[in-house]
Amino acid sequence: MPGADKEADLTERIEAFLADLKRGGCGTGPIRGSGETARETTALLRKVTAQARWSSAGDLMEIIRKEGRRMTAAQPSETTVGNMVLRVLKIIREEYARSRGSSEETDQQESLHKLLTSGGLSEENFRQHFVHLKANVIEAINELLTELDGTTDNIAMQALEHIHSNEVIMTVGRSRTVEAFLKDAARKRKFHVIVAECAPFCQGHEMATNLSKTGIETTVIADAAIFAVMSRVNKVIIGTQTVLANGGLRAVNGTHTVALAARHHSTPLIVCAPMFKLSPQFPNEEDTFHKFVSPHEVLPFTEGEILSKVNVHCPVFDYVPPELITLFISNIGGNAPSYIYRLMSELYHPEDHDL
Amino acid sequence: MSSRGGKQKKGNVTSEQEEEEQPLQAVLVADSFNRRFFPISKDQPRALLPLGNVAMIDYTLEFLTSTGVQETFVFCCWMSNKIKDHLLKSKWCRPTSPNVVHIITSDLYRSLGDVLRDVDAKNLVRNDFILVYGDVVSNIDVSQALQEHRHRRKVDKNISVMTMVFKESSPGHKSRCEEDDVIVAMDSKSKRVLHYQKTQGLKKLQFPMNIFQHGSDEFEVRHDLLDCHISICSPQVAELFTDNFDYQTRSDFVRGILVNEEILGNQIHLYVTQDGYGARVSNLQMYDSVSSDMVRRWVYPLTPEANFTDQQGQGCTHSRHNVYRGAEVSLGQGSQMEENVLIGRDTSIGANCRISNSVIGNNCTIGDNVVLDRAYMWNNVHISSNVEIHQSVVCDGAVVKEAVRLNKQCVLAYNVVIGPNLSLPEGTVVSMHHPEEEEEDDDDEFLSDDQEVGHSKDKTRQKAFNPAEVGPEGKGYIWKASMDDTEDEELAQCLWGLVLNPDPESDSESEASEESQDHSRSVSPEIDDVNAFQLEVLGTLQRGLEENIVCDNLVLEINSLKYAYNITLKEVMQILTRVVLEYPFQQQGTQLTTLQYTGSLLPKCNEGQRAETVKE
Repeated sequence: MPGADKEADLTERIEAFLADLKRGGCGTGPIRGSGETARETTALLRKVTAQARWSSAGDLMEIIRKEGRRMTAAQPSETTVGNMVLRVLKIIREEYARSRGSSEETDQQESLHKLLTSGGLSEENFRQHFVHLKANVIEAINELLTELDGTTDNIAMQALEHIHSNEVIMTVGRSRTVEAFLKDAARKRKFHVIVAECAPFCQGHEMATNLSKTGIETTVIADAAIFAVMSRVNKVIIGTQTVLANGGLRAVNGTHTVALAARHHSTPLIVCAPMFKLSPQFPNEEDTFHKFVSPHEVLPFTEGEILSKVNVHCPVFDYVPPELITLFISNIGGNAPSYIYRLMSELYHPEDHDL
Repeated sequence: MSSRGGKQKKGNVTSEQEEEEQPLQAVLVADSFNRRFFPISKDQPRALLPLGNVAMIDYTLEFLTSTGVQETFVFCCWMSNKIKDHLLKSKWCRPTSPNVVHIITSDLYRSLGDVLRDVDAKNLVRNDFILVYGDVVSNIDVSQALQEHRHRRKVDKNISVMTMVFKESSPGHKSRCEEDDVIVAMDSKSKRVLHYQKTQGLKKLQFPMNIFQHGSDEFEVRHDLLDCHISICSPQVAELFTDNFDYQTRSDFVRGILVNEEILGNQIHLYVTQDGYGARVSNLQMYDSVSSDMVRRWVYPLTPEANFTDQQGQGCTHSRHNVYRGAEVSLGQGSQMEENVLIGRDTSIGANCRISNSVIGNNCTIGDNVVLDRAYMWNNVHISSNVEIHQSVVCDGAVVKEAVRLNKQCVLAYNVVIGPNLSLPEGTVVSMHHPEEEEEDDDDEFLSDDQEVGHSKDKTRQKAFNPAEVGPEGKGYIWKASMDDTEDEELAQCLWGLVLNPDPESDSESEASEESQDHSRSVSPEIDDVNAFQLEVLGTLQRGLEENIVCDNLVLEINSLKYAYNITLKEVMQILTRVVLEYPFQQQGTQLTTLQYTGSLLPKCNEGQRAETVKE
């Protein structure tokens, strides 16, 4: 039966995706970047929407929530998965509201005015069936996919406004967004780049190689030299893995050092992050904030006897508080860290924050 | 008997292109064919014993699946029903699993050799396959080794038979099993194994010289290798096992190949990995090491909170200092989980406990004031207050009453009760099965049905529990560490691994090793001749010195001896040099003169030889 086959195929794809999430990204740099993860998640959710059996928006949201919970549980540190699930849920809500023809798109946050005028909680149970809801939702998801494809280019287009000639720019580790950003600016301007290698994974080396191939003057420094070199730096431009709800960052190990050094020298810290990296999570230690990989990178197994006497940890991420950040450059433009909460309310619905 | 859990793939092999698209296969031997885990493995097969609250065979299957294996054959012998049930319920037998698992059971397997002979008989493998045991824990990516193996076979026309995967790890590391310690001589460029020997705690090892004469000029003798028990085998391996019925284990096979190299021309190669972790849980000491390595995240991404087996409710949270807590764990006031602790779900821990470096299973109850250090507790264990446990294993359902102290290396098997106010000495093994019980039903042992084992327990007369051994309310019998009858009597094998008693004889080995030692198993008749020649030369030299014979006459004598014993020119020079150098040490007094005397002998001999070669 073709129906059962399709379902089995869908389940197989989801299982394969989950297994990939669990195994992938062993700390030597993600085997797939967050952009690709975001795209795959969205494609998978589109498939779920197309093939699963549902009659009303409420059912569909339940199904997506369930799958979303499974996917986030597989790899909690990969927040783009959860972010995409929330975006799709928001899309469903919007399409439902549009189909109903009401102006509820504007009612997102609880406000005093709403409390006064609405007179009680409006029961929104999404039970109505609309014929074209499926097609609309799938179309909106396709738009989301197009947006995801264009994020790096959108950010890179803003490079000329921020980078001027003969500037010294510092960056940490390897970020595809920052690489595109710098390469775009290099077409018209001449500047120097200093890359901190970011031990123990040393992704800075790859970044430096890529940058120097396009003719940018690049220097690689060890992490210990960051503070010493900072006095000669005009700007610090970094990428990140996640932007948290308070405006802070969860970025690669070593970023906090750079941020502190920049603050000490009053150097502006610019973060290039596409909007799909914005997560409604707040930083709290309990909730699997950190990702620890095999201590092999720090103290290799061949060291022998000492390993049984010593505890070795190898964290992958760092937290950078929002006070240290000057500017966020995303595909919708530049924003201050204090504005992040507004951006979040535009992207996600408050009821979805806890899957 | 075979059962399949999944889709079956057909393979029609003709062209090379199809060969490369063939699914990668693996043979998993879920039985270790030894009794290192007795009496624990009397109730549960070794492959299903939990390591970090996950059955060991799950680690092996996850390793195989993540390295790209698409078809696995699991061979079970002891308690195969339990293994089969477990696998059919696990995620490996779901229809969406990328790795298709076939379970093959038989009561007739007695060794790895039997399994491989069966593989050959049933024609299960069509191509290169990966051979592992069911208790291997690893995260190594074997695809690189596999590529090298395939390349070698293509280039060298199928001479390379097997590639063994080793991990680089310096001696003294606690994950190196002392029993499996090997020393390997290999050719650096081609990674070919030239000599393979288990050290077994010896301080001196012999290497046959002929292995270094194979034409390559870079050799390595390595002692820093940890055997992962993962091998990439070609289909010829199964055939070779069928041809040689006395191959029982992999070491037999390796030794056989190395010895018969001239005849069959097969070679074994080696792949050493620096990153990646691989170890086999072959005894309880390895269980301790591998368990603590897993909790300290050396086997990333197979970590406890990843829940790679996809079981409901198995997930746990990872906190600072490698503390993992499952769902619904309750911790009493003042209790501390210090570091490297894994606690399963629904476990409750009392007040003022101190837990470190331990793994606790699901549904356990732990009382107040308990100290746990390197304790491994499985599911449904009940521990009362004021108990101290150090480096011990407590199996399912055991009950430990108040004020008990378990010293190092104790084992409490299933459902044992240890009474209050008792201190168990180091190395005690307590089990509900009486130690003599196994001798009575020796024949029934390998009949896998669990029900039968249960019945046989009832059949034996219930011996009374000794309160002095297990406490006033205790239940269980003490097992003495059994002495295996191996050839070397110095090695006492207990559950916790090798206990080596230093051998007084091995230190005082005679230095002038003139008797033919069997370090070279290739016994060639030339050895006797060579030794006789050496003796003769020594005699000649002695006589020459005593009677002050002219050097030329000695040279003549040596030449004639050379023809008599049919020794090659090169060997003559070797032996002559050795004798001349050793000779002064065997003499006392006037050493200088002997040296001068013998020193003048050598160049004369040399000239003589050179003249000879010119003539020839």
